Amino acid sequence: MASIACSLRAARPVAMRFAPRAAPMARLAMPFRSFSSTRLSLARKYTKDHEWIDLSADRKTGVIGISEYAAEQLGDVVYVELPPAGEWTDQGDSIGAVESVKSASDINAPIRCKVTHTNALLEEKPATINQVPEDDSAGGGWIVKVEVDEEGAAQFDELLDAEAYKAFTSE
Amino acid sequence: MRIPQLSSRRATTARLLTRSPSPSSAASLLPASSPLPSSASRFSSLTAPASHPSNKVQIYTSHSNDPFLNLSVEHRLLQITPPDSTVLTLYVNSPSIIFGRNQNPWLQVNLNRLTQIAQQPSRVSWTDSPIQLVRRRSGGGAVFHDAGNVNFSVICPPERFDRDKHAEMVVRALKALGRPNTRVNQRHDIVMDVASDVAPDMETYKISGSAYKLTRLRSLHHGTCLLRSPNLASISGLLRSPALGYIDARGVDSVRSPVRNIDVDNQEFKDAVVREFESMYGDVHFRGEFDDTALEVDEIRKGYQELKSKSWIWGQTPKFTFSTHPTEEDPRPRPELPFDLNIHLFARHGVIEDMSIKHSDGAAINGLDASVFHGTSVWEITNWTESLRRAGLGDGLSKEAGEWLNGVLGAEYAKMALNEM
Repeated sequence: MASIACSLRAARPVAMRFAPRAAPMARLAMPFRSFSSTRLSLARKYTKDHEWIDLSADRKTGVIGISEYAAEQLGDVVYVELPPAGEWTDQGDSIGAVESVKSASDINAPIRCKVTHTNALLEEKPATINQVPEDDSAGGGWIVKVEVDEEGAAQFDELLDAEAYKAFTSE
Repeated sequence: MRIPQLSSRRATTARLLTRSPSPSSAASLLPASSPLPSSASRFSSLTAPASHPSNKVQIYTSHSNDPFLNLSVEHRLLQITPPDSTVLTLYVNSPSIIFGRNQNPWLQVNLNRLTQIAQQPSRVSWTDSPIQLVRRRSGGGAVFHDAGNVNFSVICPPERFDRDKHAEMVVRALKALGRPNTRVNQRHDIVMDVASDVAPDMETYKISGSAYKLTRLRSLHHGTCLLRSPNLASISGLLRSPALGYIDARGVDSVRSPVRNIDVDNQEFKDAVVREFESMYGDVHFRGEFDDTALEVDEIRKGYQELKSKSWIWGQTPKFTFSTHPTEEDPRPRPELPFDLNIHLFARHGVIEDMSIKHSDGAAINGLDASVFHGTSVWEITNWTESLRRAGLGDGLSKEAGEWLNGVLGAEYAKMALNEM
């Protein structure tokens, strides 16, 4: 997803909308507690290629999507190509693609991972990516759910947190 | 490794960067019309300079008219050229319909027309070579290419990607060739405005369309430019499918635009685009040429075979339904059919996952088991009459409905394509 960035910056200045508006953003602000509620605590990090990933507290599963910034830069998403489940993908390799404004843009694995679920909603309503790109719930614009191994979990630690990502996209 | 001296625009050729320079490769500097030296593998000699980190500005010209080859070389350049380099490639394809990564060929293309052109060209007044059907890796809609259409492609770092930048470059080239009435429109296409014969306003015609592919490290913008296509009158019909009213498809639709030739010579256009590219990016560090021998490079051959495979051309189709009657999801009214059947088909990756055949009033048909179609690839059905009969439909209905389906879903084309394998 590296690609979309900047492309339209000059032509179409983007109103930066980084105010938290969806639940996942709010969750980020929460302190990490060792004993949370019934729901597993999730940490969210970002790549410079504009993907986000939530990692479960046990660091064994995750949810991946593209950032609001990316969704805005892409323009209207008309198709989402979802990857087949069951294969391990290395960090940076493609795990699907989105098409918008005549562009096929790769979505890259933020960390090494194995796709376990794909978001079928995106087949019917690709524009969900534009509306709620960072929503990891049912009805949200998340793209895949993944299994994570130790290598992937270690890579996760090196990614950008929300603040660093925000600074990166404001550059 | 010694970094070659690359500052001169003219001096650098494949020869300078090839590990084992052969005296004959100097010929690659001669005009495009001169025969290429018959060296064993031309593109492989380009691989090293194409990926050399100091070659930040590169220009390639293809001597092949094979759309699958040109797209495969272009894709390879996207993969191997240095991340911060900018690469121009120019190529011309033999007659072909090139449709977008996420399109449905049954919906975008008149397959019967392609079959007629291949099998009885004179009956449909086709004097050119048969039309190839190509699914490209970039997004966007379906376009027609032939010898009167020159394709330009610019690969650059994604940070510098801009949909209009290189369309504007081509417009400057056209203006330099005395075509001041050209411009880039809001859809990032190049159009020309001409005085109308009938209305006071100007009429606008599309002469060039673009599509893009964005990867983590590189971005690709490729576009067409209709210069002197002899087949303009046919394009519209080729891109109109008889299945249009019956297919409801996920994926990407095409936007229909009136087209026209800009009437410029191919070589003059290529030279003008190269000049504009040079004035944007300065010294060209490497110029290369390639032809069909690029297939000797393993990765290019692999990409080529993938593009030519049925599982890519047809099997990459986003899911779709085909229904002879209005459905909840696709309630469009349908024309009346010459037979009493309601046929509904659902396909994912071009493979039938669900099929139902009933009477028009919804009544079941005795002895019919439409589930025999499940798991069948639509592109492998070469005769619907036979297939319906095998599913247990009576002879009369099988013939009536089968012939209609053969026409609407391009079964003759499927037969021809399978025989080519």
